[in-house]
Amino acid sequence: MTGLGIDLVVAQSLVDGLGQFLRPSTLFSVLVDGLAKSALFLMIATGLTLIFGLMGVLNFAHGSLTMIGAYLGGLIMVLTVSQGTPNGTRLAVFFVGLFVVFGVLAALGGVIEVGLIRPLYDRPPIYQILLTFGVTLVLDELVRIVTLFYDIQPVADWQAALGTKPTWFTDPVDLGLASVRGLALFEILFGVATVVAVWAFLNRTRYGLVVRAGSEDSEMTEALGIDVRRVFTVVFALGAGIAGVAGMLLMWDKNWGASVPLAAETLLPAFVVVIVGGLGTFRGTVYAALIVGLADAVTTWWFINVVDLTFLPEVVVFAILVLVLVVKPRGLFGLAEVGGH
Amino acid sequence: MFLPDVDTMTAVLYFGLFAMSFDFVSGYTGYLSFGHAVFYGTGAYFVVLAANGKVPLVPYDAPFLLLVVLGGVLAVVLSLLIGVVSFRLSGVYFAMITLGFSQVLYVFVRDWDYVGSSPRDGPAVVGPPDAVAPSFNVGIPGVDALNLAIGGLAGDSIEGLFGVVNLSSTEVTYFMAGLVVLVCYFAMQRLVHSPFGRVMVAIRENEERAEAVGYDPFRYKLAAFAVSAFFAAVAGGLFAGVRRSVSPDNSLFFLVTGDALLASIIGGFGTLAGPLYGRLFDESVREFLSKEGAGGGLLPYLRNTLPEGVLQTETIGGLTVQEGIGAFLNGHAALYIGILFVLFVLYVPNGILGTVRDRLGATTVAKWAGARLTSGGDGGSVRASSED
Repeated sequence: MTGLGIDLVVAQSLVDGLGQFLRPSTLFSVLVDGLAKSALFLMIATGLTLIFGLMGVLNFAHGSLTMIGAYLGGLIMVLTVSQGTPNGTRLAVFFVGLFVVFGVLAALGGVIEVGLIRPLYDRPPIYQILLTFGVTLVLDELVRIVTLFYDIQPVADWQAALGTKPTWFTDPVDLGLASVRGLALFEILFGVATVVAVWAFLNRTRYGLVVRAGSEDSEMTEALGIDVRRVFTVVFALGAGIAGVAGMLLMWDKNWGASVPLAAETLLPAFVVVIVGGLGTFRGTVYAALIVGLADAVTTWWFINVVDLTFLPEVVVFAILVLVLVVKPRGLFGLAEVGGH
Repeated sequence: MFLPDVDTMTAVLYFGLFAMSFDFVSGYTGYLSFGHAVFYGTGAYFVVLAANGKVPLVPYDAPFLLLVVLGGVLAVVLSLLIGVVSFRLSGVYFAMITLGFSQVLYVFVRDWDYVGSSPRDGPAVVGPPDAVAPSFNVGIPGVDALNLAIGGLAGDSIEGLFGVVNLSSTEVTYFMAGLVVLVCYFAMQRLVHSPFGRVMVAIRENEERAEAVGYDPFRYKLAAFAVSAFFAAVAGGLFAGVRRSVSPDNSLFFLVTGDALLASIIGGFGTLAGPLYGRLFDESVREFLSKEGAGGGLLPYLRNTLPEGVLQTETIGGLTVQEGIGAFLNGHAALYIGILFVLFVLYVPNGILGTVRDRLGATTVAKWAGARLTSGGDGGSVRASSED
C-alpha cells in the first residue's frame, strides 16, 4: 500500500509539474533559456566542427583554447573596466577584447598546427587525437601555474571577471510573456551572428569555397593548384580563434565562468554537439546545438521545479549522444567519409 | 635509487594493470576505448560497496579475491551491453560513444546517494552498520595460512619470515598486489599470443581482410572488449582494496582513461607490458618533481645544492629563483608529463618498450628471454613468435 501511495504522490507532482510547465510564460522562459544554452553550445562546437570537417582532426585541445579565451577576455575586462564604467563603454571594450582574443588564439592555433600537427598527417588519425590530448595537458597546467602564481583562484569561478558585465545583462528584461535574463538575449544574438558569419564565410567567400573543396576532396583541390596545407593552417587558426571568442562569452555567464576546469566542462558538450550533428557538418552542428540546448533547459527546469534529480541535466546531454549514435551511427547529418586526406 | 617509494610503486602496479587492459583492446584491435574508466570504476565500486554490505546476495565478508572476480564479471556484462551498441561504429565515433556511456555512468554514480553519504566524494570501506570493516586478503580463499591482508594501514606485516625477511604492511601490499597483477599479465599475454590475439591484430591492421579470411570481426572485437573489461575491473578492485576508498573522480572520470592512454603511449601502444613501464615512468617523473621526492626529488636537491645567493637572485619581473622553482616545479609534474607525452607522440611513436624491441629486434629479445626461461612466456611481442 505504501508503495502505491508514494507512486500516487509522485504521479500527482508530475501532473502538477506538467500543468505548470505548459503555461505560456514558463514555456517561453524555458525556450529563451534553451536558446541561450544552444547559442553557447554552438559557439564552443563551431571551431571544432570546422577543423574536423576539413582536416579530420578531432581537436582535444579545443576546451583548453576556450578556457584560455575566457581567462584572456576576463583579464582584458578586469584591467579596463572599473566600478563607474558606463554600460556602453563596457560593451565596446568587450567587442574590442573579442578581436584581441580572437587574434591571440588564432595565432596560438596556427602555431600548434604548423609545429605539432603538420608532422603527423602521414600517420594514422589516432596520433592527431593523441597529440591534441597532450597539448591540452600542457595548456591546462600552464594556465594553472599562472593563475596560482597571481593568486587567481584556479578552481572556483573568477568573480572579478563575472562582475565586469554591463548592468543591462544582470537585470531581467520584460518581454511581455515573461521576464528573462538580459545576458540570455545577448547570448542568443551572439549565437545567431556566429551562425550567419560562419555560413557566409563558407558559402559566400572565395576562401570558403576552397575550404569546402578541401573537405570534399583534398587531393583534387591540391591538384587544382591550391596549397591545402596552408588552408589547413588557416582553418585551424580560425577554429582556435572561435574557441577563444566562445570562452570570452562564457566568462560573463555565472553558470560557466573563467576557471581551469572549464576546459573539460566545455570540451565534453562540444564533442556531443559535434558528434550528434554528424562530424564535420556545420549544418548538423547548428541543429545539434539547438537540440542539446533545449533538452538541457527543459530538464534543468524539471529538476529545479518538480523532480529531485540533480544529475538529470548533465546526464541528458550524454544520453542524447548515446541515443543518436545508436539510432544513426553517423550522427544526424553525418557523411560516410569525412576529412579524407 | 630513482624508483619511487613503495606506496607509489603499488599504485604503479594496479594502475599499470588498468593501462594494460586498456592497451589490450585499444592497442591490439585499434579501437580506442575512450570510456574504459567505466570498467575500472565498476570493479572499484563493487569491492567497496560489497564490503559495506550494500550489494544484494553478496556477504560483506566475502573473500576479497572473490569480490574482485565478481566485479570483473559485472564489468564483462556491462562491456557486452556497451560493446554490442558501440562496435557498430569505428574510429572517432567508437571513441566518442564509449566516452558517452562512461560519462552517463560517471554522472549517475556521482549523484547516487546509495553508495555513501556524500557520493561526490565517494564511499570508503567502513563495513555494514553493525559490523567492523572486513580486511582484504590476497591468497588462497579459505586457507588462512595462505592469505595476507593488503592496505596501507589495515594490512598484515611480516616479521622474521625465514629468520630474516621483515616486511611492513605497505611492502606486503606491494608484493600481494604485484602477485595479482602478474597473474593477470600472464593471462592477457597468453591471450595476445594465442590465435585469438592474432585475429585482434589482423583486425587492427585491416578489418576487411580479416573478415574476408573468414573471421567475424564483430565477435572478436566484442570478446576482446569483454576480456579487457574484466581485467580493468580487477585493476579497479585492487585499487579499491589498497586504498580502501573510491571516488567518482579517481575511478570513473574520463581523464582516468586519459591517464591510461598516457601510460600506454609512453610505454608502447600495442605492447602488453609497455603500459606498466609507461605508468612507472609517469609516476617517477611525478615523484621526482614533488615537494618531498621520496625517490630523490629535484626540489630538495635544488634547495640543498644551490647557494643562497643564486636562490635569491631576481629574474624577470622581480621573481627570485626560489619563487620561480616553487611556481614552475612544485606539484606541476602534469606540465612536464604533458610535454613528454607530446614529444613521445611526435618522435617516439612506438613508446619505450616498442622502440627497445624495434632496436634490439623482437626476435632477439624473444630468443634471449627464451634461452633463460626454459618454460613459460617468450617475453617477445606478437611479431616475435611464428610457431603458434
